[in-house]
Amino acid sequence: MSLFWIVIRQLAEIEAMAASKKVITREEWERKLNNVNIRKEDMNKLVMNFLVTEGFVEAAEKFRKESGTEPDIDLATITDRMAVKKAVQSGNVEDAIEKVNDLNPEILDTNPQLFFHLQQQRLIELIRNGKVEEALEFAQEELAPRGEENQSFLEELERTVALLAFEDVSNCPVGELLDISQRLKTASEVNAAILTSQSHEKDPKLPSLLKMLIWAQNQLDEKAAFPRINDLSTAALEDPA
Amino acid sequence: MPVRVALENTTTPSHVSGANSRRNSFQSCSLLSVGQAFSGTQNVSSLQKDEAWRVNVRIQGCDLEHGYLCGTMEALNVPMADTPVVTFWEGEIVDTKNYTFFTGKWEAAPEDDIRHWTKFESFGPLLGQVELDGGKSADLSNYPYIFMRWKEQYFVNVGTDCGLTIAGFYYVCFSCNDGSISGFYYDPNSSPFQKLELKATNDGRSGFSFSSYELQ
Amino acid sequence: MPSSRPSSDLILHRLSSSDYDIKLKAIREVKNQIIGNRTKKLSYIKLGAVPAVADALAKANADSDFGSNLIVQSAAVLGSFVCGVDQGVRAVLDAGAFPNLVRLLSAVDEKEVWERGFQAVLSSPYLYEYGSVLPYHITPEIVGDPLVPNRVEYVWSKGIPLLLDVASIKMGVPAATVIPFAFVNMNKGFSPFGVGYASLVCECGAVWSYTFLLEGDVYGETMLVPFSILENGILDLPSMRICRSFGCFLCSVVVDAAARSLRMIYQSKLAPKFDFYKEENMDFLLSLLRSENENLTGLGAGIVIHSCETSDEQNILCHAGSLEKLISGLDGSISQRDASLESLATILKNNPEAVSKFVELQSERALRSVIELTKDKYPRTRLLACLCLICIKNSSSCYLQDIGIKTKLIYILLELLDDSGQVGEEASFAFSSLVAGKEDLQKLAFEANAIDKFYNHLQNCALHPKRLEGIFLALADLCSKLECCRSKFMSLQVLNLLINALTHDEANVRTAACICLKSVSRSIKSLSAGYFTNERIVIPLVRLLSDLCTSVQVAALGAISNIVVDFTPDKSTIIQCGGIKELVQLTKSMDASLRLNAVWSLRNMVFLADKMCKEAIFMELSVSAVASLICDSEPSVQEQALALVRNLVDGCMDCVEFAFAEDGIILDAVGRQLQKSSKIEIAIQGMYVLSNIASGNEFHKEAIMQLLFPQTENGSHSFLSQYLQSTDSSLRTSAAWVIVNLTVPASPGAFGRIVKLRNFGIVSQIKRMVNDSCMDVKLQARLALGQIISFGDS
Repeated sequence: MSLFWIVIRQLAEIEAMAASKKVITREEWERKLNNVNIRKEDMNKLVMNFLVTEGFVEAAEKFRKESGTEPDIDLATITDRMAVKKAVQSGNVEDAIEKVNDLNPEILDTNPQLFFHLQQQRLIELIRNGKVEEALEFAQEELAPRGEENQSFLEELERTVALLAFEDVSNCPVGELLDISQRLKTASEVNAAILTSQSHEKDPKLPSLLKMLIWAQNQLDEKAAFPRINDLSTAALEDPA
Repeated sequence: MPVRVALENTTTPSHVSGANSRRNSFQSCSLLSVGQAFSGTQNVSSLQKDEAWRVNVRIQGCDLEHGYLCGTMEALNVPMADTPVVTFWEGEIVDTKNYTFFTGKWEAAPEDDIRHWTKFESFGPLLGQVELDGGKSADLSNYPYIFMRWKEQYFVNVGTDCGLTIAGFYYVCFSCNDGSISGFYYDPNSSPFQKLELKATNDGRSGFSFSSYELQ
Repeated sequence: MPSSRPSSDLILHRLSSSDYDIKLKAIREVKNQIIGNRTKKLSYIKLGAVPAVADALAKANADSDFGSNLIVQSAAVLGSFVCGVDQGVRAVLDAGAFPNLVRLLSAVDEKEVWERGFQAVLSSPYLYEYGSVLPYHITPEIVGDPLVPNRVEYVWSKGIPLLLDVASIKMGVPAATVIPFAFVNMNKGFSPFGVGYASLVCECGAVWSYTFLLEGDVYGETMLVPFSILENGILDLPSMRICRSFGCFLCSVVVDAAARSLRMIYQSKLAPKFDFYKEENMDFLLSLLRSENENLTGLGAGIVIHSCETSDEQNILCHAGSLEKLISGLDGSISQRDASLESLATILKNNPEAVSKFVELQSERALRSVIELTKDKYPRTRLLACLCLICIKNSSSCYLQDIGIKTKLIYILLELLDDSGQVGEEASFAFSSLVAGKEDLQKLAFEANAIDKFYNHLQNCALHPKRLEGIFLALADLCSKLECCRSKFMSLQVLNLLINALTHDEANVRTAACICLKSVSRSIKSLSAGYFTNERIVIPLVRLLSDLCTSVQVAALGAISNIVVDFTPDKSTIIQCGGIKELVQLTKSMDASLRLNAVWSLRNMVFLADKMCKEAIFMELSVSAVASLICDSEPSVQEQALALVRNLVDGCMDCVEFAFAEDGIILDAVGRQLQKSSKIEIAIQGMYVLSNIASGNEFHKEAIMQLLFPQTENGSHSFLSQYLQSTDSSLRTSAAWVIVNLTVPASPGAFGRIVKLRNFGIVSQIKRMVNDSCMDVKLQARLALGQIISFGDS
């Protein structure tokens, strides 16, 4: 056979495979799942890792007592981090900056993007509290130089400063900056930076596991029809199509 | 934290010398060096008629370590062209290190190779060796003849529709004694054994003159 | 520069205040203003804040609580000034802070430690603010009594609520001590000096407030211990323990702060050079590397990275056992690993002895660890691991030679290019050091489509100059030896992007673009096809010849010297762009490398050039200039100048006249150089000048005879004779050609010349050369002899 015919045959084979996907029923699936053993300790570790990375100190402490799982980070070190996170979440950015600098003066010096976002949040808070004049001065004195030092911040800078231009801030196109979610975003960034500086993993393991699950299901989908988990929060098995 | 990478960046110059490299153990001959010119004829006789083009060759590049040579070939009084036709060619020097007597490409089978090489008188003493092991054990470093294959790569001053083809290549023999070149063009789709005969030219000088360049 | 606000001046004033409180507050303010803020750093430096802070550091006494606090804050401020700001480094060093910071690292002995703690506690203002009120010493017997405090209700420091609701009372300790406990983190971040408050609660509901001090290390279990001085003024045992631990704590806090700042300083090139030859310095360095403290080991690694340059210094470090210490850092935290990788690379670079020592340690375990780290999830770690391996590979040809590791390194570096930060920038420089000069690696990289990848990155228009520079240099290295790489480069049309870069604002980018062009133009195929002789390239290149930056000029000259080899007789493009004038101007430069490269370019330009082009160059250069270049102080310039003349007198017969212009001063200069019997390369070029002239007419041949055998010196040793016997075959060849050309039978004066040659013994020399080991020499000797014999035997 010439080359041309070999390719056609291969394509045909692939299609045949696709058409005849293996079907797995719910019962079969559940039976197979039940045969898989997961250790309780592993699950506890995952939960602890999640609580500790996200900074839920009290929950972690309680969980530790009730399950006997040891956290991989000393709970004592979480408190500082949580204090910083709380400060940002309640809009006390200046306080948060001071705390971070007390904790480790290198963090903000070596993370220009984080520093910029903190300054940005400060400006947002000033605008939120209606302190327009102070906000203008702050934008000029503190934020503008960040744009000069680093070209990549200019776009975000412009967006933030645009807040000052609008009378009715809640209705302007960049209004989402005033949202609480912006605070949470910044708080999360600080949290990650502190964790990294302490040489800890900045991401909890649980999300990666879930991502792996979705990817694996997609891969399997090409070869078989099986009960999928489509809603991660309920983890309910849905019958194959 | 700023990443400090303390590595220098020096691109090491490799001299591609237009003069013969001093440290080589390869056969070299002054007359087959960069800038040297040769002129003569290519006999393009076919069954219909006898024809010969005047040909000028100039060596442009020479890298003995890699068995590489290149230059231009100019054919005058080519019937279908109003101007002389110039091509750029690259050569493989048969030094048994980089290249052997067997071509291994360009539709030339070992039989074709032997058939063409044997048309050179100077190949005679080597025939036995070549038939035995491809000439791998032959010591060519002191042989006063240099064998090459020249393959034209592109037309320099005309289009590909000029009616000429550069699909084939030349088997070439260069005589170190007097700088004369003979060659045979091989192309399954052209008349076989078109002979190239060139002599070293010297610009009307009384003796030989050599110039050189050195690439950085 | 932002205007200095009134409050900045005020801060400066407060920085120098004699009141500790005010000073401390001011320093903290400055700290919080400058961290992360480059503009503020620069303006405070300008205002003179650095000497004030350095002064505060110098005067602060580590023996007191306050003093330690002041030291920590001042050190943090200085460290921040230094971070990424060269002026900051200079200011801090000029203010004399460096020795003070180093002093703070020195270890203190036991007695000093607890004395320090004692002093600190005693001077602590908090101690006397709230009294210690504790009604009982709790012993096992009285536990359970509703009146006895049995739990800690509230623990805090400086107003931040920490943990609540703890639990039991520990038993089994001497009665004098009370040990309610809580897992409390009195982190130095918020309460640097471990003073806290607690509310103790009894079953009956009574609440007692209580002051306590830290014991134990900062992150560990904390015990609340009462502080008491016995009546006769002697501290009781538990109290001494507190003082000691407090002292340790103070020491560690101070050490940490000082180490951090010093680490920042050593990241700058301006840091003072560390003298590895002094024994006490090496002891200090090793103690740093041995430490459990990450900041100290980081400082040690930083010192190595900064100051270790020569192979002697590398050997000192190896013999002192630093390799082992650094290797253990490979298993540590992220920053320890990175620091270890970088410092190991510094020690191993170009030092085969150090490399073999490293590899043999723990039977190659260390090498395997580094290889593992090339797969780490952090890009910076991957990059540093690759750099370490590249250092090892380049130092010693025994290790890392299998194709698998080579391919892996190439793929990892190419993938790191995608990083948008500094790692991506540095990746191309690392790639250069991997493939530079190594044909096998260039081949592998070519097969991995490296050129396409670099090209894709180049197409992103908003590239940082450093990144552009790195990519062009990497492409230059990639195309330095292999024609396939150069073809790929040309076919992808990277040349267009290169041309744009020739006019970039940054000098380094312009230089890199020229170096890349030089590399790519080594392709004779492309040169012959005329790809480089259009105006788009030549015009900007010629303009670069008058660039303000010398390195740009040299690089442009390198590129030009290649592209003028276009095998055309007229070199019209470059002449029209005013290239000759620029080149000739540079041949007069004081800078030797400019002179050399300019003459080199002209030499290449004159190769196969027609008479008109040669005349244009010759006139611009002037005869006397050529003669003086032949006698230049630099041997390499002499060589190129002679090669230039060689090319000038080649070609049509008229061209030989160039050597005779103005009474033949050029020819005289050539003769003088040949007489001096200098470098072989110079002699070869000189002999070819003579040989080329000798291929001219009668007059030319006689002139050469005159030069070879000057009448005034009888029986003198002719350099011709000497060169005919040279150990260098190329030199012998060139000398032989002189004789071949002088004895061409067709020329009228040949017989006379042969007689003269015979008289000077040259003919006998030629006879001895007919079986020369070099074929070329042998053939030309036979040719000459054949010509000589045709006039009758001797």
